[in-house]
Amino acid sequence: MAAAFPLGWRHVEPLDTLPAAGRDFPRGRISEITGTRSSGRTSVLHALLAASTGQGEYAALVDTKDAFDACSAASVGVELSRLVWVRCGGNAEHALRAADLLIQAGGFGVVALDLAEVAPAALNRIPPTAWFRFRRALESTPTILTVVADHPLAKSCSCLTIKMPPRRAVFTGQTPFLLLRDAG
Amino acid sequence: MYACIHGPDASRLADSFSPFVEMVDEKTAVFSITRRQIKQAECLPHPVAVAATAEAAILAARNLPGYTFIPPGQEARVLGALSIDALPPDPELFETFHLWGIRSLEDLARLPQDDLAARLGDRGLWLQRLARGAFERPLRPRIPPTIYEESADLDHPIKLREPLLFLIARFLHDLTARLKSQSLAATALYLTLNGNQRTHSVPFPTRDVKLLLKLVEHSLDRQPPEAPIAKIRLELIPTEPRRVQHGLFTPAAPEPEKLELTLGKIRGLVGEKNVGYPELFDTHRPGLARPAGPLLPFRYFRPPLEARVTAERLWTRMFQGKILQIAGPWRSSGDWWHPDTWNRDEYDLALSDGALYRLYLDRAPKKWFVEGVYD
Repeated sequence: MAAAFPLGWRHVEPLDTLPAAGRDFPRGRISEITGTRSSGRTSVLHALLAASTGQGEYAALVDTKDAFDACSAASVGVELSRLVWVRCGGNAEHALRAADLLIQAGGFGVVALDLAEVAPAALNRIPPTAWFRFRRALESTPTILTVVADHPLAKSCSCLTIKMPPRRAVFTGQTPFLLLRDAG
Repeated sequence: MYACIHGPDASRLADSFSPFVEMVDEKTAVFSITRRQIKQAECLPHPVAVAATAEAAILAARNLPGYTFIPPGQEARVLGALSIDALPPDPELFETFHLWGIRSLEDLARLPQDDLAARLGDRGLWLQRLARGAFERPLRPRIPPTIYEESADLDHPIKLREPLLFLIARFLHDLTARLKSQSLAATALYLTLNGNQRTHSVPFPTRDVKLLLKLVEHSLDRQPPEAPIAKIRLELIPTEPRRVQHGLFTPAAPEPEKLELTLGKIRGLVGEKNVGYPELFDTHRPGLARPAGPLLPFRYFRPPLEARVTAERLWTRMFQGKILQIAGPWRSSGDWWHPDTWNRDEYDLALSDGALYRLYLDRAPKKWFVEGVYD
């Protein structure tokens, strides 16, 4: 594996509960984090951004649906001053174009493309060649391209796909004085 | 010889004598004066002093009324009667002078030079030389700031983009060459087309014509001129050039030039306000406050989804379901003095679709909204 990915891996500490394959993101490749709402896909994304920015790298987040919460991201260690945030107002086409430009610019540790909650009709319009183009652009760069989505999109172009299983909410206390403690 | 004018319009009066004027303060101007000009200086309405040294002229103009001419070598005699307070203030040394009984410049000028230097050091010696009117220094004339600008009034207005960029590129080449000759770089670019000014701030000082031209190009793409260009003006704001020390072990970062161009392209795509880095504020407003501790990762629905809620079910335009568990309400309000106030009750609820949502009741219009989902 080391020979296949000579640029190294990004280890993400908070993911220790996940399968071993999910803890390391290959550099210079496409990774996917998929799952339904509340499955923990944003937790994984925040952990990856925190690991990257915490080591002094710059990261970029292409936020298709303007869903990013800076407050919870900062609370898990994401250095916001090292994060370029691009809001696309729900336009998946703009998101793909912005991600392409950021990858071409180079120098980012992580480029995250958040396509979660995007309408399936818009996702179906993404040509498969877009992922091949990303894969080609990422080769020989230390950048991790992470796609967050409801379902796998990059298919064979993706080197790592983390499928987040549905999780159960953990409430503590007695009704009606419940307190949300964790998402599973 | 040097002349000093002390008065409210000293700068204007001094300009009529010499192009090289040092403004000591707002009311005091010093300049080099010729013998022929001395006669004119006598007629000025403000205190004027002419002396062989600039500092002697300044002391006399500030503290003696009318016109004062100090013949060379007579500085100590003319200035001697002035109080010690006429010298630049130095509380520590002035206290020592007071203890020694020194009240006038003459008293200070009489002190033995070597002994004074041994007791009060260079600063004491410097004050004594001022008191004697013997301190010589070159004039520090004010230099008006150079404006790096090029402009053109065109006989035939430019309708096409390429000829316009060609002209701007020519301006940029000239201006950056001028900046380079002064060891400066540009930190901002003001482009005025037909009287409409566009500002391009460069995040780092640069003299790279290609980069500056690309910035202008992106700006023209985003916001094309409304009419053919008849008047054009380009100004570069100068600053010190960037000096970067690279490290072998520092993590890779985007090249500033490339990043700025990339962000310029993305701004053209998604809008000016949609590209940047997130920032939190010193507030309690939900979503903007700095976190006090670890929080559950959250995704917003922007704008929040209007919801219909009963004790058992929740409906929005995107999803609906049975409420399995609910925690809350957590009441928060703030900024009541501001039009953009908030006052709401928050709930965390688990819905039958398996997701965890944050629901809130906006207490002003009494409406329910789903703000986002814990993820």
